[in-house]
Amino acid sequence: MSSQAIGDNGLTIRLSLGVFARHYLKSPLQAGAILLGIILAVTLLIGVRATNANAVRSYSEATELLSQRAQLVLAPITGSKTVDESVYFTLRQAGVTQALAVIAGTAIDEQGQHWDIQASDLVAALSIQSQQASSNDKADNSDEAQSLSLLSADLPLAKLLAGAPSILLSQSFANQVAPKGKMLLNGINLDVIELDDSLGLGNAILMDISLGQQLLNKPNQLSYIALFGQAEALTQQVNEAFNQQTSSHFNLAVQDDGEALTDLTRSFHLNLTAMSLLAFVVGLFIAYNGVRYSLLKRQKLLVQLQQQGVPQRCLLLALLIELFSLVLIGSLAGFVLGLQLSHWLQPMIALTLEQLYGARLMPGIWQWSWLYQAIALTFAAALLACYPLFNTLAKQPLARSASRFEQQSNANKQHRKLFTIAVLLLAAAMALFPFTQNYQQSLALLGVVTIAIPLLLPLVLQVGLSLVQRLTKNGLWQYAVAESKELIAPLSLAMMAMLLALTANISMNTLVGSFEITLKHWLDDRLYADLYIRPPSDKVEPTQKLLASLPKVTAIYGQWLHSTHYQKAPVSLMTRDDHSLRNSNQIKSQSDNHWQTFFTGSSLMISEPMAIKYQLNIGDAVTVPEFDKAVLAPLPVSAIFYDYGNPLGQIIVSQQTWQQLNLSVPPTSIAASYADNIEELEAILQQQVPLSAAQMYNQTKIKQRALKIFKRTFSITLVLNSLTLLVAAIGLFSACLMLTQARQAPLARLYALGVSRNQLRALVSGQMLLIVLFTCLLALPTGALLGYLLINKVTLQAFGWSIAMVWDWQAYFRVLVIAIIASAVAVILPLLWQTRKPLISSLQQEAL
Amino acid sequence: MKLKSHYLGKVKLTLITRSIAPCIVRSFAVLSFSLLLTACFYESADNKNSSHASSGMGQLLDGNTQGYSPVLPGKQLSFPADHQAHDGFRQEWWYLTANLTTESGEPLGLQWTQFRIALAPPSPTQTQLTSDWQTKQLYMSHTAMTSKQQHLAAEKWTRGNAHFAGTQVSPLRIQQDDWQWQSHNEQLFPATLSANTTEFSYQLQLDSQAPFQLQGDNGYSRKNAAGTVASYYYSQPFIEVSGTIERDGKTINVSGDAWLDREWSSQFLSKTQQGWDWFAFRLDDGSALMLFQLRDNSGEQQDFYSGRRMYPDGSGQQINSEQISMTATAWQQTDSGRYPIAWDISIPSQTIELSTQALNANASMPLSIPYWEGPVSISGSHSGLGYMELTGY
Repeated sequence: MSSQAIGDNGLTIRLSLGVFARHYLKSPLQAGAILLGIILAVTLLIGVRATNANAVRSYSEATELLSQRAQLVLAPITGSKTVDESVYFTLRQAGVTQALAVIAGTAIDEQGQHWDIQASDLVAALSIQSQQASSNDKADNSDEAQSLSLLSADLPLAKLLAGAPSILLSQSFANQVAPKGKMLLNGINLDVIELDDSLGLGNAILMDISLGQQLLNKPNQLSYIALFGQAEALTQQVNEAFNQQTSSHFNLAVQDDGEALTDLTRSFHLNLTAMSLLAFVVGLFIAYNGVRYSLLKRQKLLVQLQQQGVPQRCLLLALLIELFSLVLIGSLAGFVLGLQLSHWLQPMIALTLEQLYGARLMPGIWQWSWLYQAIALTFAAALLACYPLFNTLAKQPLARSASRFEQQSNANKQHRKLFTIAVLLLAAAMALFPFTQNYQQSLALLGVVTIAIPLLLPLVLQVGLSLVQRLTKNGLWQYAVAESKELIAPLSLAMMAMLLALTANISMNTLVGSFEITLKHWLDDRLYADLYIRPPSDKVEPTQKLLASLPKVTAIYGQWLHSTHYQKAPVSLMTRDDHSLRNSNQIKSQSDNHWQTFFTGSSLMISEPMAIKYQLNIGDAVTVPEFDKAVLAPLPVSAIFYDYGNPLGQIIVSQQTWQQLNLSVPPTSIAASYADNIEELEAILQQQVPLSAAQMYNQTKIKQRALKIFKRTFSITLVLNSLTLLVAAIGLFSACLMLTQARQAPLARLYALGVSRNQLRALVSGQMLLIVLFTCLLALPTGALLGYLLINKVTLQAFGWSIAMVWDWQAYFRVLVIAIIASAVAVILPLLWQTRKPLISSLQQEAL
Repeated sequence: MKLKSHYLGKVKLTLITRSIAPCIVRSFAVLSFSLLLTACFYESADNKNSSHASSGMGQLLDGNTQGYSPVLPGKQLSFPADHQAHDGFRQEWWYLTANLTTESGEPLGLQWTQFRIALAPPSPTQTQLTSDWQTKQLYMSHTAMTSKQQHLAAEKWTRGNAHFAGTQVSPLRIQQDDWQWQSHNEQLFPATLSANTTEFSYQLQLDSQAPFQLQGDNGYSRKNAAGTVASYYYSQPFIEVSGTIERDGKTINVSGDAWLDREWSSQFLSKTQQGWDWFAFRLDDGSALMLFQLRDNSGEQQDFYSGRRMYPDGSGQQINSEQISMTATAWQQTDSGRYPIAWDISIPSQTIELSTQALNANASMPLSIPYWEGPVSISGSHSGLGYMELTGY
């Protein structure tokens, strides 16, 4: 009996599903709208997910080029830039053969552009790689990383080991920078050998050490030696090889599995994640709208099915299966598109990450689990959104035949309810914001605000349209406005998505614009000299002497830089000449007698990001290992200065303290002011020291370069934002399309009553314009609010940069125009299709 | 077949994340990798193979021998100079096999080989190398330790570099990192041979009073009947060994006998030869027997044999191809291929009738160049111990 009941249920579900499938076949637009929403949501979610996951994996699995991940690194001792290569020979002879000698540096091409190059003992690199690969094979570890064998056909080993001018580049990088297969670096003409991108060279320029030492003019020197294997055993072996005297040759550092880099870039990735979630929500709005519309259209059908004897449970189940199938198809398509999106986004972030953080991105990977998660998330979200709809539909009284497009009679009441919830959420967020400690908390609250904003919309539209209604004359136009109010309910979802996208766009534009202006101001203050020179260490003195001898040089400045650690994170310790110290730093806050204590060597300055990261305030004592070495007590912070775009913390000490610390006497870089054309000074330096053009930066050049790099940090966010706006526009389009279709009958009735086609078109467009305008109007304050929070909470807490908020009207009007154009297209296209149809078929629409 | 499925597994969704072409290229590279064996030591006959071999390592080691020093008959080998590397020739090796016994009487085989591979012929005009790192020489070493139950093998690759890979004249040293043959003077003996791997290590004292044995015609060793391929080849079959090995964290004293082979050439095999089976026995009458077969795959039966019966006083008899017959009697499937691990050998002119038994049938070397190499014992007309090397399977 019961088994037969189950069989019956199965049959009815199958039949119902068949009916639904026929319905969608008849109106593919409805299925299309739902799928579109899901696809767009999942695409953006997966795209960013893959991009982020790959970046984080790249940090934690960063390997030596063409080799494996090192566990230990022998770095130069403090004050020295290189390790002598004899260390490498000693290690190898002592049996520490899982070792790789690396020399890195910058080379200059004929245009004066700098290129980071890296050279290693390629035989060691590749044999270490193949050993680890084979041990992985033994353990049956399906390792994703690709490997290159020493004996591979792609690798002209004879040339490379002979020190021939051949360099190794990944294929895509080679196509980008050396399409002709040649590069001229430091005056040497180099053949480019392209290696497959999967080998993970990224944007690196790699060569054998035999060529590298020549090219960089660093004979017998190494930048570092990477060691592979078990860190403790290696340390012991190294200590034995050097009779425990390692510290006089090199510093031994255990690799941190990319934690430092992951830490450094976390805020950047969080930013991306937040954007992708926003896009996901916008996509879901569209999908929800689609489901809702298709259900309304099927209201009559559902009642009829129930009247035919289909039990409620089966109907509900059939609807759920339908939803799940749509989610499944949409997620799958979104997954594939998302991977493609990430494929496009990655080069974009790769540049930011390489230039700003020095991280190298590896070739992309992806996981099936992302798909499952995307399906689960989408289905859960869709279910949560649609279940109430399903329920009311399935439970509606059988006797009622829902032939008419049911208006929500209690819409007004519901709008008020939504508005109240929104206000409550906003109030809660406002109350909590002052207590946020870090950017994660701020972002969570920002999420709450983001949810609250669209909920405000329906009532705002309602009230706004009521006001307009009072202003319009009686007749057709008042009818139009009155009818617009009726349209709020069916359109509100699409408009909410639009509002969200507009708000996000406006806030992001505000953030980026404000940042740019702040950065420009800061650079103006920071770069007061005309020419900045970074001579190689052996040319510092001649450069200084030459500058001093030139009568037109009005001032010479110096900067001394030293890399050190504060609480295990890398920071730079620096000083400048007294004039620069006084004038080049924008001070955020300082103690009363700051300059006095600073110049007597009894206090120091720290950068704003460092102060925020370690919660340091004026008066707190700070120390770095160099202080201990010089037996110097920790110094109190007497000022905090602004520092933008620098991922590392900065400590500035006075000249006096610098001398006490016994740090390098010649400056790292020199700056000069010149009374005449700066190009004249550049030419003199090039001829007489001689310095290369690339070792000098004039002010404008630095400013351009700085702005270019820092703008890139946000470029990906802007791209995601534009995508979100695009998604919202598509959503609006599909909503308008469905709405216009639903309104065929009333419009036909108006036409039958004598309203001309042109009037009808103007009427519908006007209504839509009115709604869009109100939405844009609401986006103005909400965008400003979100922008304010992004600048003063999230960015400040995540990056440690205070930025003065600057409102950009131009950007606001730009998105406004985009929104209006999008909705105009969304309204006019379906309208044209509709008004061309014969009147009778439109009138019949009601009956069907 | 195994390779293929392995790679298919790795390909996954390459269609989207990257083009599929690199994967094909990569599996191609691996194919040519397995061909290295052929490429490295043998000139491969068949056209398909040589087209692979013309790329990568094949290109380096196969193909054109032009510019390299030729192996000519009548050259007088001189010592200690010829213990050193001959960079003008394409390939060279220092090769020691030892049949050892531990304190507890366990038989043990030990192999150490240092290969030198020239990546390019010497330039006619002597250009000054400006950096220590610049080199045309690539070194590869293998070492293995074989007991009845265990066979451990290791490999290392290093560039030729005065500081860590190559040979040194005085005192004579043949070195690749910490794997070193360190003599006390300019001669090969007495010396200490030491190597460390992750699984085992050893330190052996080597000494020999016997004169070197020049193989073939006064050190000129033909590798085919036509005499178109040959090598310079000398041996020291009578080396006394004592020392220690470390295995499983334990240090064990060992002693026994070892055999050194020195060989260099610019072309070891003719185009039609696919591999060889090489034997080194110490017979119970105090003599030693070296024997090899070069297998031909040209279709006609042209396998080439050569051997030498050697005595501790330095005398010996050359054994020509037609005097030798050998038959494989048992095969073993190992990780790196199927090898004939037992042989019947007959040399009527020396009244030698032998059967060989491997100490460990699984003594394959699953390295960049896979081959089988392990200790064997002999029975029949003579008894004794020795080593067997099987390549090109």
